[in-house]
Amino acid sequence: MTQIELRNLVKQYDAQDQVTLTGYKGEPALNRINLTINDGETLSVVGPSGCGKSTLLKVIAGLEYPNSGQVIYNGHDFTEIKPQDRGVGMVFQDYALYPTRKGRGNLSYFFEVHQRSEEEEQARIKATADLMGVDFDLLLGQIPDTLSGGQKQRVAIARCIVRDPNVFLMDEPIVNLDAKLRERTRIEIKKLLRQFGITTVYVTHDQQEAIFMGDRIAVMRKGNLEQVGTFDDLYYSPANLFVAQFIGTPPIAIVPAVIENGQIAIETTRWTLPSHITLPNGTVRVGIRPEGWRLDADDGISMAVRHIERIPTERAAFVIGTIAGAHTSIVAPVDYPARESVRVTPDWEQAIFFEDEGESALHTPGVPDLF
Amino acid sequence: MSLFPKVGRNQPRMRAAWWMLVIFLCIGVALHLFPFFYMIALSVTPAHETLSPTPVIWPKEPTLAAWRLVFELTTRSSMDSAVRDLMSYPFYVYLGNSLFMALMTLLISLPVTSLAAYANSKLQRGPMARWSFLFFIGTLMVPGVVTLIPSFLMTRNFPFPLPSAPLIPGTDDPFPILRIWDTPWAVIIPGVFNAFNFLLFKGFFDTIPDSIIQAARVDGGSEFNIFRRIVFPMSIPVYAVAAWLQFGAVWDNYLWPLVVFQSPDKIPTSVAISNLMNRFVQAGSTSAQQAAAQTASMREILEAGLSWNGLMVLGLLQTIPIFIMFIICREYLMRGIRLRGLK
Repeated sequence: MTQIELRNLVKQYDAQDQVTLTGYKGEPALNRINLTINDGETLSVVGPSGCGKSTLLKVIAGLEYPNSGQVIYNGHDFTEIKPQDRGVGMVFQDYALYPTRKGRGNLSYFFEVHQRSEEEEQARIKATADLMGVDFDLLLGQIPDTLSGGQKQRVAIARCIVRDPNVFLMDEPIVNLDAKLRERTRIEIKKLLRQFGITTVYVTHDQQEAIFMGDRIAVMRKGNLEQVGTFDDLYYSPANLFVAQFIGTPPIAIVPAVIENGQIAIETTRWTLPSHITLPNGTVRVGIRPEGWRLDADDGISMAVRHIERIPTERAAFVIGTIAGAHTSIVAPVDYPARESVRVTPDWEQAIFFEDEGESALHTPGVPDLF
Repeated sequence: MSLFPKVGRNQPRMRAAWWMLVIFLCIGVALHLFPFFYMIALSVTPAHETLSPTPVIWPKEPTLAAWRLVFELTTRSSMDSAVRDLMSYPFYVYLGNSLFMALMTLLISLPVTSLAAYANSKLQRGPMARWSFLFFIGTLMVPGVVTLIPSFLMTRNFPFPLPSAPLIPGTDDPFPILRIWDTPWAVIIPGVFNAFNFLLFKGFFDTIPDSIIQAARVDGGSEFNIFRRIVFPMSIPVYAVAAWLQFGAVWDNYLWPLVVFQSPDKIPTSVAISNLMNRFVQAGSTSAQQAAAQTASMREILEAGLSWNGLMVLGLLQTIPIFIMFIICREYLMRGIRLRGLK
């Protein structure tokens, strides 16, 4: 059981195109990351591509060494420990199976290099095969080239768990699978993670996956950790505009507004803010989620409907248009009739207020008490 | 034939182009095979016929006389002393020299070169990786002939490329040297690092995804174990290509062995055969007496049936080991050549 702590991690890549004679060209891949991953917890790391999430994983695994900062496992400084000695299990995006070894050989490499006994190896492989499901034995006798993507992924996951790792590290493990298989594998991985209760870091660029897999979610951007928290934290109290825009589909609408003595105006339409929201006068940006609008409100602002996207499987529709220059999606009943324009008013209780200049949040609604 | 699209082969123009390509390739194959055919044809032609002004495509009366004679010559079992003395040692001595040098070079050079390429491709990082790559590849840009003299001096006073060993500063004693000149090591040691094979290996190792190496590291394999157990089994075709290229290069090398060998019992087949040809073709002499003796022995040899046909037999003997090597590595070679798209 392992708790991982990252203190002030800085990682700057030193590939040839990244360095000048005097220093580094670009921003660091990791910029002062402080993060604690609790024992037994699954932490999803999301962010747009190139934000440093894979680097974070490699630094935790020891495949990359940080330029400064510490990686601490259970209170011991592991910063300089080789990946060979960290006892982590890792699943890669491209599966990274050893192409010349059969499924069984892929699983047994760990035991070969650790000089474990033949019996232990056989027992562990058998236990893992039982865990991975009925037909997994068939995959063990095959060369990776002959396996399909999903099968390769299962072997890769088995190779990761066969050693009883301290930490699971997963680098976009299911991104290369097709949609249906992705769904199924996601559930399987989740089941395994729950079964093992091992500390896990799960990197993905898909927020749905991050929400599904992670007990907590870390959002990264350009080497910075923007926010860490549960989905509700991120959704209802984003630390800044980036997190608000990154989490949630369809995305949040960011509408410019002016606050004046407890009243708020979007373009020429005015509302009175609820009394508990106290904001200084001036321009702000209001973030309103698709479900944070009331349709056909009398005091609403008129929005020209661009189109209505109906999603019968979800029993919902999204009314899509533009308010004050901002792209806006609004949840509506699936049978919402088509029309030219609609009057909408934001539910101010659910709105998130951001600074006009800069990104930080001025007021967030906080996680609602549902029960 | 990935050269040629599969779609639309039935179009008349495509079909014409296809046949043009086939004809072109057939001409290429014929051009490559004709010298071998001519060598074989000449080797079974009687001696007097090879000297006739009209070229012989296939002899009227094929004879194995030349083969027999060369056999006698190379085993020094001929009754005729003139034939026997053409070669100072039996052929198997030279064959053994050549094999020893070629195999030792392979044995040392393949691990050294491939490990260097692996380190450059997967372990070195940053600008140093680039610079060391350029440094090694840079050695390809210097023709071997340019370094012939310094290399020769180096074999005399290894490791100094100087006419004589320098003195240890402050004393009158020279630095200790190793004289590898006139030993097989003079051929083996310069071949230990092969820049072309380095390029070949590096090109292949670059195609191995880093994630495989990283997965093996996470699995706990030491760097050398990863190379031996994961990377090496993946790279066997490249090893086959490299081994074949280098075997051929060492086997066919002529100029360098000619420079570094003096003792007639140490020369490889390439030099031995060429010496024989020289002795045989140009019969150069300095005195009338010697010339007369030589002409007499030449006449004897000719009468015994040895002429161009015998040279062709020797030439074939020189080529055979490379064929054998090719057949040994054939399957991997084909895969490797497809892999790297070379030759």
